[in-house]
Amino acid sequence: MSTKIIKRKALSISAAVAALGLLAGCGSATAPAPAADAGPVTIDVWGWDAESTQHVVDAFNASHDKIKVNYVLQASNTATQTNFRNVMESKKDIPCFMPGIAPITTTLVNGWAQDITQYVEPIKDAYSTGAQAAAQVDGKFFGFPAGPSATFMMANKAVYDKFGLAVPKTWEDFVTVGKELKTHGVTVINLAGEDPSTLLQMSQQAGASWFAIDGDKWKVNLQDDATMKAVDIIQQLVDNDLVAHQTYKDRPALYSYFDSGQLATVPLAWWSMTGYQTNFKASLGQWQAVDVPQFKDAKQFVSSGVADPGFVPVGCEHPAAAVEYVNWASTSKDAIEAGKNQKTGSVGVPTNLADVSAYTANVVPDKIFGSQPAAEVGAVIAKAQNAAVGKFERGPDYDAWFPEMQDQWGKAMAKQITLKQAMTNVQAFIAKDLDSKGIKYEVSK
Amino acid sequence: MSSRVEVRKSLDGAEQKPSRQARAGASASPRFSWRTKQRIKGASFTWPFVIGFAVFTLLPVVVGLGQSLFSSKTSGLGFGAATVSFAGFDNFARGLVDPVFWDSMLRVSIYAVVIVPVIQLISLTLALLIDAVKRRVANRFRLILLIPYMIPGIVAIMIWLYLYSPVVGPLRPFFGLFGVHTDFFSGSMIWVSIGNLAVWGSIGFNMLILFGALQAVPREIFDAARVDGASEFRIAMSIKVPYVRGSLVLTGLLSIIGTLQIFNEPTLFRSISPESITKDFTPSMVIYNQAFQVGNLNYAAALSIILAAVVGAASVIIYRLTNKVES
Repeated sequence: MSTKIIKRKALSISAAVAALGLLAGCGSATAPAPAADAGPVTIDVWGWDAESTQHVVDAFNASHDKIKVNYVLQASNTATQTNFRNVMESKKDIPCFMPGIAPITTTLVNGWAQDITQYVEPIKDAYSTGAQAAAQVDGKFFGFPAGPSATFMMANKAVYDKFGLAVPKTWEDFVTVGKELKTHGVTVINLAGEDPSTLLQMSQQAGASWFAIDGDKWKVNLQDDATMKAVDIIQQLVDNDLVAHQTYKDRPALYSYFDSGQLATVPLAWWSMTGYQTNFKASLGQWQAVDVPQFKDAKQFVSSGVADPGFVPVGCEHPAAAVEYVNWASTSKDAIEAGKNQKTGSVGVPTNLADVSAYTANVVPDKIFGSQPAAEVGAVIAKAQNAAVGKFERGPDYDAWFPEMQDQWGKAMAKQITLKQAMTNVQAFIAKDLDSKGIKYEVSK
Repeated sequence: MSSRVEVRKSLDGAEQKPSRQARAGASASPRFSWRTKQRIKGASFTWPFVIGFAVFTLLPVVVGLGQSLFSSKTSGLGFGAATVSFAGFDNFARGLVDPVFWDSMLRVSIYAVVIVPVIQLISLTLALLIDAVKRRVANRFRLILLIPYMIPGIVAIMIWLYLYSPVVGPLRPFFGLFGVHTDFFSGSMIWVSIGNLAVWGSIGFNMLILFGALQAVPREIFDAARVDGASEFRIAMSIKVPYVRGSLVLTGLLSIIGTLQIFNEPTLFRSISPESITKDFTPSMVIYNQAFQVGNLNYAAALSIILAAVVGAASVIIYRLTNKVES
């Protein structure tokens, strides 16, 4: 998956979904809402969704006397980030809620996010544990609970059936099946050279912890046993030429390859199904939604995915009002009505809620999965969402080390170095970068 | 009468004494002479440029210089505001020995050594060809060749990404017709692909400058050469090219400056061939990465100034060398 694209889409969708109030109909509607700051207040809420958020805000304003929300529509995700940096520099017109634009730790290191623990704590049970974890640093909420769009798989059933193979349920079997498919000229998965997100997600799934806070310092370990499990699987796939390396920058070529029957499996999140349906022709109806493979020794089913939570910026004087609005937009039935797509009437998957089963079947497109019922596909998505780890700490300098990881991943995919060497190099880069920034850390063994 | 008459006299270059009325007028506004006012009026046409240059070029340079003299550090877990302190020339000292930065500089310099002569040669050839045909035909080709220059860089790259695409692009099957099976996105071809894009995007502008210079060459010299039996090729090589040497130096310098600062092409091609084009592939990419990924604006500012100094030095050296050759 293209991390940047996925991240951006996930950000926009999860942020939009969270802020749009597409998240109603759950027990959270009865969760105690935090008290708004005394007296009527007006707060600015930023976003780049031009379709539904304004309707949600209007509905909120119509039903609340003490808080008035002013939705400040930004031109794009990028424009939002640029403008936000500017207002934080000028300390003027700071909004009271920002959609997620970076991992919460990065947001905190940049000095942007307020501690909103006292406001989120009373309402947190409405949200999944993964969503809660993603919004916390060192046990405190610096962001609003945000759920990841969890990974599941789309298998080309026609390809598997043609060669008499079963869709693998473990990563170890994934390699075995990949070897068999290779003999028929089919690759088992696509690993784009620019995108190491598969490695991050598999490491997360295996239980890796690359960064952890230990008192006043960071513990860094990109070479723990869990990570090495993921590294080993990917290395086998690469060494045996079982994977394709189609870039996400060349979308027509990518879709054409996926659609050609030369690729057996595609990892994806719920929001990308429609895009595949729109761009596939020959393989429409041949795909089947399946669970993401597990590691053989996994004790329970887990899926991967990370989220970048929205936050209340430092400088906002009404954090309680901001949290009350976001909580209402995330859980109220009125919000879901207001947030429906005006043209299609559709709603998204409210990824931050504890149980999304009621929403997943509605987002399944009608052609790509052929005879597989939408309810069954929805169940796969819900299972992934409900089992999402959510938290994967990316440390205080994610922006700095991720491009380095892209470089190293690219070299590993081109077989210039091994993935293990790549992880060693990235860890060395992180140490150097943290040194230059004066951040305390310890590299774990 | 006064001022209009005065203007006419001045324009005529008459060195007559000013009339009584004119003297009276001058004494009425003693602060500026007529000539000074004219100069101010003339200079006022440059104000839009001067203001833009000051705000968007000089001011950022000054701000960048200021930024480069400081450094910021956090402590502990890195949370909270960073401490900014005066660092003197520390950032410059680090930049001057940074192997990542200088490797990228070497890489781009080698690329420039290859690509700039290619651009110059093609631009000159096209300019000579267009100069040799009838004006109506020349105008058509001039416009067609300028189109790539008019297309924004990022758009051009997206177009070429499609053209190069091994699956949906038309180039691969086209070359396949001649038995050439190549992948424009492969590591071994990536420089060629970027270079081709650079040539495509810049020959139009260079050709226009050179064509303009060729148009200024006195035509009677060609007639004299033809009477002496010179061929068109000989005229081109012995008369036209020497006449446009100044413009060749200009386009060469502009190409060198642009090439050393190359950013758009490798940044987008990085997705295609990340094992070859790393985040620190060119000096501008190193600077961008330091500023917007690593978050070290101070060091990025210092590197920007070092890059500007290198580009400036390269320009001066080449300008002097070409002047020597000319003299």
